Amino acid sequence: MYPPPHPTRRTLLRGALGLSTAAALTACGADSTTALTSGDVTLALWTHDPGYEAFFEKGIPEADRLTDFRYHLKVTRAGAPDVVTKLLAQAVAGRGTPDLIGFEIGSFPRMLRGDIAERLLYDLTDDIAAVPGLKDDLLPARTAPFSKDGRVYAFDSDTPMVVYFYRDDLFDRYNMPKNTATWEEFAEVGARVHRDHGASMCVVSTVGSDAGQVVQSFQMLLYQRGGAFFDADQNLVLDSPEAEEVLRFLCDGLRTGFVIDISDYYGAAMQTALKQGRVIGLPMAIWYKNYGLMPNVPEQNGRWRVKALPRFEGGGAVTAAAGGTGFGVIKDKANTRAARDFLFKTWLTHEGQVRRFTETGYLPTRRSVYDDPRLSAARDDFCGGQRLFPLYRELLPQVPPFHQSPDQSILYDVLAGNLLRAYHGDLSPRQALKQTAADFRDQAGR
Amino acid sequence: MSTTTTAGPHRARSSWAPYLFISPFYLLYVLFMLVPIAVSLWLSLTEWVGLGTPHWVGLRNYRLLATDISFHRALGNTAVFVLVAVCVVVPLALLIAQALNTRGLRVRDLWRTAYFVPVVVSPILVALIFGLVFDRQFGLANSVLRALFGTGGVDWLGDPGWARVSIALVMLWRWTGYLTVFFLAGLQNVPRELYEAAALDGAGRLRTFTTVTLPALKPVTAFVVVTSFIGAAQIFEEPYLLTGGGPAESTLSVTMFIYRAAFQRQQFGYAAAAAVVLFVLVFGLSQLVNRLLGIGRATS
Repeated sequence: MYPPPHPTRRTLLRGALGLSTAAALTACGADSTTALTSGDVTLALWTHDPGYEAFFEKGIPEADRLTDFRYHLKVTRAGAPDVVTKLLAQAVAGRGTPDLIGFEIGSFPRMLRGDIAERLLYDLTDDIAAVPGLKDDLLPARTAPFSKDGRVYAFDSDTPMVVYFYRDDLFDRYNMPKNTATWEEFAEVGARVHRDHGASMCVVSTVGSDAGQVVQSFQMLLYQRGGAFFDADQNLVLDSPEAEEVLRFLCDGLRTGFVIDISDYYGAAMQTALKQGRVIGLPMAIWYKNYGLMPNVPEQNGRWRVKALPRFEGGGAVTAAAGGTGFGVIKDKANTRAARDFLFKTWLTHEGQVRRFTETGYLPTRRSVYDDPRLSAARDDFCGGQRLFPLYRELLPQVPPFHQSPDQSILYDVLAGNLLRAYHGDLSPRQALKQTAADFRDQAGR
Repeated sequence: MSTTTTAGPHRARSSWAPYLFISPFYLLYVLFMLVPIAVSLWLSLTEWVGLGTPHWVGLRNYRLLATDISFHRALGNTAVFVLVAVCVVVPLALLIAQALNTRGLRVRDLWRTAYFVPVVVSPILVALIFGLVFDRQFGLANSVLRALFGTGGVDWLGDPGWARVSIALVMLWRWTGYLTVFFLAGLQNVPRELYEAAALDGAGRLRTFTTVTLPALKPVTAFVVVTSFIGAAQIFEEPYLLTGGGPAESTLSVTMFIYRAAFQRQQFGYAAAAAVVLFVLVFGLSQLVNRLLGIGRATS
């Protein structure tokens, strides 16, 4: 028997090299997919909005109580488009994807291209059906934007109704009626107010660097009027009499001064216009109070009010929807089940939806929650103590669905350019819409 | 014999040594330059949404690009930006360098720093500042025009023509100072005796500039022109941050077109095809410029 020889330096180096290579290869391998069914779990949450981070953090105790898991969150924040880009990059790498992810509504169409949604996202449809009454309780208008072929891939954060924000004090000072029934009457009043006081009552965004904002100004009124960009089958339906009517209405408003073009809803130009009283009202989604008005003009606290949009004489509803963020779960991961349970027990519970409104201002996506007396009782200081929720409840049945298409960014690019040309008078509304449809057909599907 | 047998492997090892020393660079070059270019080329022949298996489509993407009005617009806009860079920014940089090189100039370093600062300012900040300057309703540019001429309704970023002008102005502001540094370095290397000889021959300022300064600066000018050409052909930050390529694609550059196809529309194969076209154009034209300017050729 010989004693085992001492390892030489070369042997040790080889061993170390082998171990480090093995470790590196292991690290490069795919995530473990042995599903966790209970116990401690750390969910990787990706979002663009710190408000959601805070909401989910606060929801942990309730989720712990209602599930078999004890949750911890590891949050990554990035810009809304970057969240999707990073997700796809990590998916290609085969590791490092999140468990729970928030898609800003304008970024979600990228997931609709090809079979990306089916490959990456957990299909929530069967789980919705498994909860008694949930399917009928969820607003179809808010599941539609995050669905594909009838399958739901994310739950919206909000029912972002479009309402009319206005300066109550200036409406009084200028002797303006607050209950004007139609946009057409409203525009007449607006032209007079602009002539006499230099103020405008409607805004269109002309920020070239953000096609989404330019389109949104038009989109809100188009959907209110009953038009749409895409139907449920993702076909372009923009070129319609409703669209022409709305675009003509905005173009005419720009000529009379009833409508003002502002480069950016959130930036310095809008802040200046609000502070100078050049904008005394505008149609916008309800979240604009928190993200546009309050940060830009905190000194106008108590002077703003909210009301339903006037109707168009030709028809349509008194609201629309604009914006939203859908939270989805990444499929085939160890934490998929835990993430799904977490989403259901924080995002979709009655208490969770009430809390979401009180903490973030986002409206519930379940019909039944609108009857909660706590929500109706809430008063809004920025809006002079106005009780906003009864108005929202009244508008709820009129919220139109919003269908998305993988070619949506193409539409936004071409539509934004043609809207600006129509606003400038370079194209008639009819020509702008025809041109948009033609440009879209040229670019879509390449 | 024994000498021969021991010297053989030694000589062989010695002959490999230089290659081994330079191999790290070439390995990295292959990994991070040639492989990505080859992959782009292959990707351009496929249809790929960014996930899953790319589908082979042959030259379809190139055929579509040939008929894509949007791509043609991007090529046209990029050509305009290249012309601005080469025909406006470069000459202006030369003139500023000439001014900064004037003997007896006071606070010379302050002027030089002032011209160079824009290039180190973050592009995000540049976009924010110029977004405020060019705002139609409340911007500084229109306010100044109103104050001076009583009219200031220029839609700098919303009108297709003015949007291009705005991007050109930002390019001018951002890159002139940077290129000035190269010309300044070149001017400082022009032998003083040449100017003295020109003065003795009775040459005026213009004559001295055209017969002494410009020929002496030819190598620097060639370098600046080629790098400006390549930089402008790949312009991205200015239009992306300031106008998003709009309005109506009037400031869309080819690199923005590629970015949009890949990261907004999930058309990676199509984006790769556009990237290959851009690569071929930039490579070919820069070679042409190299030849025209005589870069790399020994001067007699």
